[in-house]
Amino acid sequence: MTVLRVIAVLLTGFFVGLTLEGIARKIMARVQRRYGPPWYQNFIDVFKALSKRGISHGWIFDFGILMALGGVIATLAFVPLGDLVAFPGLDNIFIIVYLFAVGALGMAMGMVGSGNPNASIGVARALTQMLGYEVPYLVAIAGVLYYYKTSSVSGLMMAQQDTWTLFKMPIGGIVAFISLLGMLGKKPFDTPIAPAEIASGPMVELSAKYMGLLMLMHTFSIFVEISLFVDIFLGISNYLTFLLKFTVVWIIATLISAVLPRFRIEQVVKFYWKVPLSLAFVQVLFVLLGWVF
Amino acid sequence: MTNSMNNTIERLKSIIRNLKVEEIDEREVKIEIKPEMVLNALSLLKGSGYSHLSIITAVDWIEENKFELVYILFSWNDGGKFIVSTKIDRKKAKFVTVKHLWPIARYYERELHEFFGISFEGNDDMRPLFLENWDDLPPLRKDFDPMEYSKKKFPDREYHKDVIHEAKVIRGDLNG
Amino acid sequence: MSTNERSIWEKIADQLRSKSLWMLHYCTGCGAIELPPSMTSRFDMERFGMGPMATPRQADILFITGYLSAKTLRRVIYTYEQMPEPKYVIGFGSCTLNGGIYYDSYATINRLDYYIPVDLYIAGCMPRPEALLEAFNELMRMIRKGEANGWKRYKENYEWYKQNQLRSLGEVFIHDEFHE
Repeated sequence: MTVLRVIAVLLTGFFVGLTLEGIARKIMARVQRRYGPPWYQNFIDVFKALSKRGISHGWIFDFGILMALGGVIATLAFVPLGDLVAFPGLDNIFIIVYLFAVGALGMAMGMVGSGNPNASIGVARALTQMLGYEVPYLVAIAGVLYYYKTSSVSGLMMAQQDTWTLFKMPIGGIVAFISLLGMLGKKPFDTPIAPAEIASGPMVELSAKYMGLLMLMHTFSIFVEISLFVDIFLGISNYLTFLLKFTVVWIIATLISAVLPRFRIEQVVKFYWKVPLSLAFVQVLFVLLGWVF
Repeated sequence: MTNSMNNTIERLKSIIRNLKVEEIDEREVKIEIKPEMVLNALSLLKGSGYSHLSIITAVDWIEENKFELVYILFSWNDGGKFIVSTKIDRKKAKFVTVKHLWPIARYYERELHEFFGISFEGNDDMRPLFLENWDDLPPLRKDFDPMEYSKKKFPDREYHKDVIHEAKVIRGDLNG
Repeated sequence: MSTNERSIWEKIADQLRSKSLWMLHYCTGCGAIELPPSMTSRFDMERFGMGPMATPRQADILFITGYLSAKTLRRVIYTYEQMPEPKYVIGFGSCTLNGGIYYDSYATINRLDYYIPVDLYIAGCMPRPEALLEAFNELMRMIRKGEANGWKRYKENYEWYKQNQLRSLGEVFIHDEFHE
């Protein structure tokens, strides 16, 4: 049964993730008054990339990419999608956060292993940006954990029987959403992959099937990040309402990113440590004082 | 000509006899001087505010058997421009560097050496700047034939029909 | 010839490849100005699944706009050899075709397909974005039918191409004082 549930979670991640990425491209195009690619464009892109003959840059490179993809898939298996929980009782937020770092570090290792200076710059930027958004995100989440006295993600979801956490702690919800934009690497926080500055950063040396695997990894990690936000902040949901809420969050993030330019890396960190971090502390203070709606 | 340009020309005339001055524009003056006076004139101009070296370039006068070296100086005070030109022998294409007056001149001199074959005393860095693996006469000399070089190095497409003739007929230059 | 035979898998892959073409544009010539209109709202290249890519590793098409000097040709050959197979080359404008108005220049090459295999040429000086889109559609049709075999020709006739490159460039290896 667990195997079936894990397969269901991964298939959802694959199909919904890639479809929503295609839809995001379409929305982006419509915002820019273009027609845009079809919604299944990202499936074609991934399969095409997997069908080409790539160039490896040594075993650290290969291993790093496998570690990134494997780490993110392992993380995804622990994330509850509404009432679809692959490992009931094990969906602890700390497990998810720790496992998620495996994917990010795998990517950093593989990309630096390619030896391209642009990749190193991109990875350095990605890790710096991580330092920026993780701190306010975890402070806001800590407030939530303290309030509900549980760290299980489905426990947090079940605790929102009467009101959503987003309405109970609106400031924390906003902080988590801003951090989510940074995690997704969407504009204005797409500094690590800036194509015009550092030739798409970490991906610079990825060819063909490596690119395909990394696109899958990207899709899965987007799925993990948004799922966490939906589970923790957007109330109790079953599988279908979960996907609906997921789509709404993803479309809002896309619309925001469609109209914004890119931050420089030090602006990213300054912004995160000024505005969202202070807001997160304010939220934690409110929680400690019991001022929760 | 602006006042400061007139003053500068007076000062130039005091150190250089038979100075040829040609007024091109309101703020643009060309002076032709002997090669041995160029350094004096340039340092005087630099001292009078014409401190921006826009370019050093050359013209190949193949009938006179001369290279004309052209220094263009610009003043940020009044926007005046001095074009200092001198003619050197084409066979012994050699001149002195102005690297000590304007450090950037070393790139212009490298370029002149590359494209005209003029060498500059005092500037030893004469590696090629733009061209790679050049194996012929310096390309901006008048006795270099670019068409011949292009035919030798970069083969043309062979057309089986006379397309240029057809194009002329279509355009109406010729009656088909 | 064996270059036109494809397995079933290759046929399916070619269908996918024709619908997702990522492009690396080598824009040293003036033709680069025709690309923004074809990418943005008016002609919108992305509806065919095409998009610009920043690195040769991810690109399918090498798009060469306008003239190439001997110096840039070296870089183009490097770039072309870095791209993963299958790869396609489009020559844009008459400069890549026969030298264009630079036919007698000492620094620019006269025909691109002498050095790297070109799948498709767009004639004109300049071709308009409509011509560009027509060429992309033609390239997609060629890929679907398995006619865009430039990369196979490059491997088969590698000696010939290398010999031509050496004839015009002297040496393909890049010596560059700013990068050594």
